[in-house]
Amino acid sequence: MKLQKRYWMICVILVVILVVLGYTPLMIPRDVYKPMLLGIPYSLWTSILGTIALVALTYIGAKVHPGSDKKETES
Amino acid sequence: MRIWIYLFFGFFFALLAFASWKSYRRNRSAEEFMLAGKSIGPILGFLTFSAALFSAFTFMGMPDFFRNNGIGAWTFLAFSDGVMVFFILWFGYHLRRNAKEKNFQGVAGLMVSSYGTKWAGIAMFTSAFVFLIPYVAIQIRGISIFLEAAFPGLLPSWVWSLVMVMVMLAYAEIGGLKAIVYSDAIQGIILLLVIWLIGGTCISAFGNVPNMFKAVEKVNASLLSTPGPNGLFTWQFLLGSMIAVVMIPVTQPQLTTRLVVIKDLASMKKMAYAVGIFAILVIAPTIFIGMYGAARYPDLPTSEFLSQALLFDQAAPVAAIAIVGLFAACLSTTNAQIFALGNELRSLLTGNEKTAMRYTRIALFVFAAIVMVFSTFMSDELVLLARVSFTGTAMMAPIVLVAVIRKGRPAKAIIVVSSIAFLTYLMSVIGIVPDHLGPMRLDLILYLFLLLLTVAIQALKPVFTG
Repeated sequence: MKLQKRYWMICVILVVILVVLGYTPLMIPRDVYKPMLLGIPYSLWTSILGTIALVALTYIGAKVHPGSDKKETES
Repeated sequence: MRIWIYLFFGFFFALLAFASWKSYRRNRSAEEFMLAGKSIGPILGFLTFSAALFSAFTFMGMPDFFRNNGIGAWTFLAFSDGVMVFFILWFGYHLRRNAKEKNFQGVAGLMVSSYGTKWAGIAMFTSAFVFLIPYVAIQIRGISIFLEAAFPGLLPSWVWSLVMVMVMLAYAEIGGLKAIVYSDAIQGIILLLVIWLIGGTCISAFGNVPNMFKAVEKVNASLLSTPGPNGLFTWQFLLGSMIAVVMIPVTQPQLTTRLVVIKDLASMKKMAYAVGIFAILVIAPTIFIGMYGAARYPDLPTSEFLSQALLFDQAAPVAAIAIVGLFAACLSTTNAQIFALGNELRSLLTGNEKTAMRYTRIALFVFAAIVMVFSTFMSDELVLLARVSFTGTAMMAPIVLVAVIRKGRPAKAIIVVSSIAFLTYLMSVIGIVPDHLGPMRLDLILYLFLLLLTVAIQALKPVFTG
């Protein structure tokens, strides 16, 4: 359980980092659309990758989240 | 094309009738009627959540948003949805724990029992009512624009709205929440299919994705970066939108309820990442449709662009299924929202269950009538109106979050603080209060104000209560 909590906290920290980066010029620079990736403008491909990473973290988070049905009922 | 439309509508209504009949036989008690017996599995759970979340506003609003404001629309919605689905893991767990303890009947009712005052419930119901009505009206407006274009001169748009509302009410009255969940599942699948068919056609018009962006670059290169040609997608706008979107499962009762009616926590967790995948899959083709519009129809008004891109530029069967898909999307979302308002009202009513249900059913008709009237004078800015709805209800988030996280009774001052933020935002929407204070957007200032005051109130609560 302790290990699960640690993994969950790592997921939370990674999500917070991604969210902070998502609203900085690193991902949404003003009036910049190059370098393009596979013809896709810069802010779009970085945001798409960011979104995929968030969903992947949700998948991992769902596996390691320390809550359970038993706890739900006990509380 | 009309033959295809009749064929697909016939099939769609047959599915709805079947789901309705199936739900009617099963749903007898008030809890089963309003909360589907709290026994929804993970697949139906993710489809109903996704369908309630992605609606006419995604189907019609997002392509137009991409066309007019550029690629920042992805960060506005998809990235925000990514944060939201992760948040659901944490919030959903706490919500369900509380819901079990306090026999959840609705968010407003849960707040009454958490705070020990009916004002908590009234505040939640009022915010949902004030901001969900325009949101529901957006959906109706969306479908009536589209149907008017598909059948020019056949019926005025208000009659299309009326037809839509009547079908929705009949369906909800017969089958209750379970019928709505089934219709959501049907709608979710149709929406995904249709939006990819149309998105694929839009890409093929250019040959491939790089060519599509090259064409847009020639027409208006500012669409390829933020803040976009109208300067809308500033970091403040996008951050404020993200907070509003993340708070949707907290403050929009149709989605909060869906987190509770899923049968167990494991199913809810599966639902969370499935919704994330669905969000990416459903928003991606709206980029293609929007960029297609930016290159081909940059100056057309919204309704004409949508008619062209979704209808007249498509093969007849695709256009026909688009009409059915949009009708289905609109039907399930509006159903979910009006039904949720009814459920919220019921959770506030005390006394005899039969009488409460009678009032609830009457309220569903009244809500639908109000929506009907609103839909006739809504603007075409579907996405921005949706954002206003999300932001407005998000102002009440501290009430729910503190009640759900804290084990003891939360401080009643939180209801006052949230209500002040809610009223301030409402006044900014109607133009009484400015929407910026200096360089900062008002919604961001209100979020910060809510965060600081909520933390301070909770920290000082033991001092005042001894």
